[in-house]
Amino acid sequence: MKIKEKTSKVVAKMVVAIIIAIYVLFPFFLVVVNCCKTTDDITANPIGFNGVSFSNFIQNLTDVINNTHFQFWPAFFTSVVVTVLSLVLLALFGAMAAWVICRNKTKWSAVIYFTFIASMIIPFQVVMLPLISSFKDVGNFIGIPMIQSIPGLVFAYLGFGGAMTVFILNGFIKGIPMELEEAASIDGCSPEQTFFIVIFPLLKPVITTITILNGMWIWNDYLLPSILLQQNGPVKTLPVAVQAFVGSYVKQWNLILGAAFLAIIPILILFFFAQKQIMDGMIEGAVKG
Amino acid sequence: MGEFSAKRKIFSFGTMIIGIALMVAGLFMAITLTDFLGIRGELIIAGCILFFVGLYFFPTLKHHRGIINFMFLFPLLFAFVVTVIFPLFIGIGYSFTDWDGITVNKGVGFGNYQRMFGEAQFMWSVLITFLFVIINIILVNLVAFLLALLCTSKLKGLGFFRAAYFVPNLIGGIVLGYIWQFIFSKVITEILNSQASMLVETKTAFIGIVMVYVWQYAGYIMLIYITGLNTVPGDIIEASSIDGANALQTLFKIKIPMIAPTITICTFLTLTSAFKQFDVNLSLTNGTGSVTFMGKYLSKGTSMLAHNIYETAFVNNEYAYGEAKAVFFFIVLAIVSIIQVRVSNKREVEL
Amino acid sequence: MRKKLLSMLLVGAMASSFVACGQPNTANTESGNASSGDGTATSSVTLLNGKPEIDAQLQDLAALYKEETGNELIVQTIGGDTNASDELKKMKAAGNMPDIFVIEANQASSWDGLLADLAGESWTDKTEFELVDDSMGTIGFPYTVEATALGYNADVLTAAGIDPSTLTSPAAYKEAFETLDSKKDELGLKAVLGWCAEPSNLGWSSGTHVFAQYLDAGLAADDTTYIDLLNDGGQVDHDRMLAFAEFVGMMNQYSDPDLLVDGTYDEQVAGFKAGEYAFITQGNWCVTSPDDVDFECGFAPYAFEDGIDTIIAGPPSYWVAYSEGNVDGAKAFFDWCAGDSAQNILVNDAGLVSPFDDCQYEAVNPFYSSMKSYIDAGKFSGWHTMLKKDGLQNQTCQVFADYAQGKLDAESFTTTMEQVIADYYAN
Repeated sequence: MKIKEKTSKVVAKMVVAIIIAIYVLFPFFLVVVNCCKTTDDITANPIGFNGVSFSNFIQNLTDVINNTHFQFWPAFFTSVVVTVLSLVLLALFGAMAAWVICRNKTKWSAVIYFTFIASMIIPFQVVMLPLISSFKDVGNFIGIPMIQSIPGLVFAYLGFGGAMTVFILNGFIKGIPMELEEAASIDGCSPEQTFFIVIFPLLKPVITTITILNGMWIWNDYLLPSILLQQNGPVKTLPVAVQAFVGSYVKQWNLILGAAFLAIIPILILFFFAQKQIMDGMIEGAVKG
Repeated sequence: MGEFSAKRKIFSFGTMIIGIALMVAGLFMAITLTDFLGIRGELIIAGCILFFVGLYFFPTLKHHRGIINFMFLFPLLFAFVVTVIFPLFIGIGYSFTDWDGITVNKGVGFGNYQRMFGEAQFMWSVLITFLFVIINIILVNLVAFLLALLCTSKLKGLGFFRAAYFVPNLIGGIVLGYIWQFIFSKVITEILNSQASMLVETKTAFIGIVMVYVWQYAGYIMLIYITGLNTVPGDIIEASSIDGANALQTLFKIKIPMIAPTITICTFLTLTSAFKQFDVNLSLTNGTGSVTFMGKYLSKGTSMLAHNIYETAFVNNEYAYGEAKAVFFFIVLAIVSIIQVRVSNKREVEL
Repeated sequence: MRKKLLSMLLVGAMASSFVACGQPNTANTESGNASSGDGTATSSVTLLNGKPEIDAQLQDLAALYKEETGNELIVQTIGGDTNASDELKKMKAAGNMPDIFVIEANQASSWDGLLADLAGESWTDKTEFELVDDSMGTIGFPYTVEATALGYNADVLTAAGIDPSTLTSPAAYKEAFETLDSKKDELGLKAVLGWCAEPSNLGWSSGTHVFAQYLDAGLAADDTTYIDLLNDGGQVDHDRMLAFAEFVGMMNQYSDPDLLVDGTYDEQVAGFKAGEYAFITQGNWCVTSPDDVDFECGFAPYAFEDGIDTIIAGPPSYWVAYSEGNVDGAKAFFDWCAGDSAQNILVNDAGLVSPFDDCQYEAVNPFYSSMKSYIDAGKFSGWHTMLKKDGLQNQTCQVFADYAQGKLDAESFTTTMEQVIADYYAN
């Protein structure tokens, strides 16, 4: 009797789980199905498989990729370059800064740390407007454009991502015993050697975490690049390109969904291979942050 | 100092001096606006690097640690100050002027701040933002918690379900917004056989934004609840079931109290992220929808705080006014954060 | 030794990260901008186009310009849902202005002192459509003439026995709409009208173009009565607005309900091209090539008061030269653009209507002959809607949408319109 009740319960749960999964994944299904159709077929029936063909799919994707407003490949590479550069620099500089802050029990490091923490509640909107003009001025002043340029955007991500990166790293470094560093120092290591040989390799798990957290944010971010790069500028990240594409064209859903498909497929592929790391990283970040 | 070779001293001082000279040359070009070969930026950067190289080899043992500390802190701190701290103070300063994004003509004192509390559209934005935040704290946490319970029970293919529920969180708000715009205006109208998409009507459009937000965010919060639920020791649950507690009792008497810190974390996460909601708002409705509020007909009924600030600055070209609204936004968030920290500290003490 | 090696590595790592930060910009400096002061070659001009539908033709134009003169023209396009003027504000803030960009007449004042005076250029003798500003002089190059009114499918009207020239009063329209509505099936119509009041993507259509009819319909081209009233603190002529509201109410009633509240520009135009609508609330830009339609097209006035018999015609926007950009390059381009080979592309390929007297090309636009007959007869009104306060259409389009959804009637539409406009002007 008891066993029977249990199986029925499990079946019921399974059904609920499947129904929710279908609901959650349905939009993705719609994207894929509808980028295999022509506009007319979408208008006629947006849900079914009528008019689905591989040639339509290829046609829509090539139309999107070659569109002068979208320019998928340049946008894709910009996104990759910006994300990778920002992540590498954030991990390196973040670890360096966090280590100094954590290991120096001076008033200065406490002030810097507190400023980083406090800055996390600053909404982007407050700094967004002066940012454009100050970046422009700095760019004109030093002769390297900070606006509509990849270095400028990476620099901005260093600034905006710094606080959380230092915060999470700091929590981790605190847990590394001082004795390790003291031993290294006795062995004749200079401070920088201690950091790069002893400490940095130990940070691998936490660097994975911050890389995932920052990576998800930077890859999907719209507002910052839309302001620093601008919609019709020479360089665009993927979200900016999607907005520029949809914004500059009248509503052709097959193309819009094609653009959406192209924008989400890289991260889905990545998720497929690094599911566990990504989910763990997101949890870590939330719990620590 | 005797332990350092003369070579090293020369190298160190030499590079530092060259570095400073290059930076000065670059800055000189910047100030005088002459740009020899168009390399002033490169000059400054090269000078900076040389200076650091020289500094690194500075012949001292006593201060070496200090130099390393400075060099390690500098890159991140520099970026942080230039992108966050400077603009923050400049921005707060601008909010008291008539700045239009290009020039400042005169200060206006608290004029911008007074004005926004009299603007029906802005007050409406504040109101629906709070409404949105409250609804989402309840809905997202409830849905996420139920999903977490489902995903911590004995089910086949648990890994798949967890991943599936989490997937929407991977996708950026802009793309999501367009996908859902399609669903609302084409698919749902097709299923319900209705004429107009629910995005047309302010109330239903607002519900639409909430739906998309829950859809996107619940999977993420679910993951955190799963972690929380997994920390509840199995033997306690076992003990309670031996004592004759049913599933509901276990849930309310044991599981929920034990994951109270997780609930605090999730509430705070939802709170800040819902407050800052912008991308979906922009791509799903762009603020449209009419509403009558404070005796006025408003045409941007679904424009929330972040979107309202964006429109004020970039569409209406009122930068100073938008900045004042943003400062207000900052103050609200700061208050909320302080309350949150207080609450969670109190909780931890109680536990 | 080891220590040294490591130090070098560390320094190398830091240096390379700096270089990595600095390197990609060498490529970007060129595409950077003209205003930063780095010597831009005088032969290269950037043009910001606000009409996405002619983007491809402008790229051809740029290629031809390069071929004929050796000068370079870089065309950037924004438009559609993205407002060119919003984007220009951001570009201005970023110090990244194009040399030539598109403005609407009311935006001239926000560029005060920043636009080059083009007076005395030879093309100004060949047109009366250039934009002249009191303080800045001749600032706008007219690249096209556009008309907007109620576009109609002449074949359908003929088949239904309606003479479009009689459509000069609300009563005549009512009768015509009723006739068409009763014969929908035999005429193959889905609805009498393709009119869409969806606000978030098509707000420019209702808030600027249809609203334009309130401001100008029936007035002489230089009559600024209602725009002056509007710009004087957002006043509205109640009676005229009410008559307009009643006419819009009739449009709501006879429009395709699928399109009215929630349609898109694409659906609207596609429906008209397919012969499903007898009327469309768009201008001549909606059908650019005779190949798109297998019927005659024409314009009828928005006759919301008895005797209104004009359509709105003129340049809705202009190309202007940024005075801190490459002005000489821009002037050279304008001069070339008014010439024969450029007009050939603009008229025959892009389907624009030339504003220049000496242009030898008959526009291919299916609405052209109707437009020309109105212009020749002097029965055209101005595009004064472009002089209303910038951004007003973003507010008023929602009122049109609510009216279309049946939340407002003609009277409350009028009062709401008055309140929304007054509030917008008060800010």
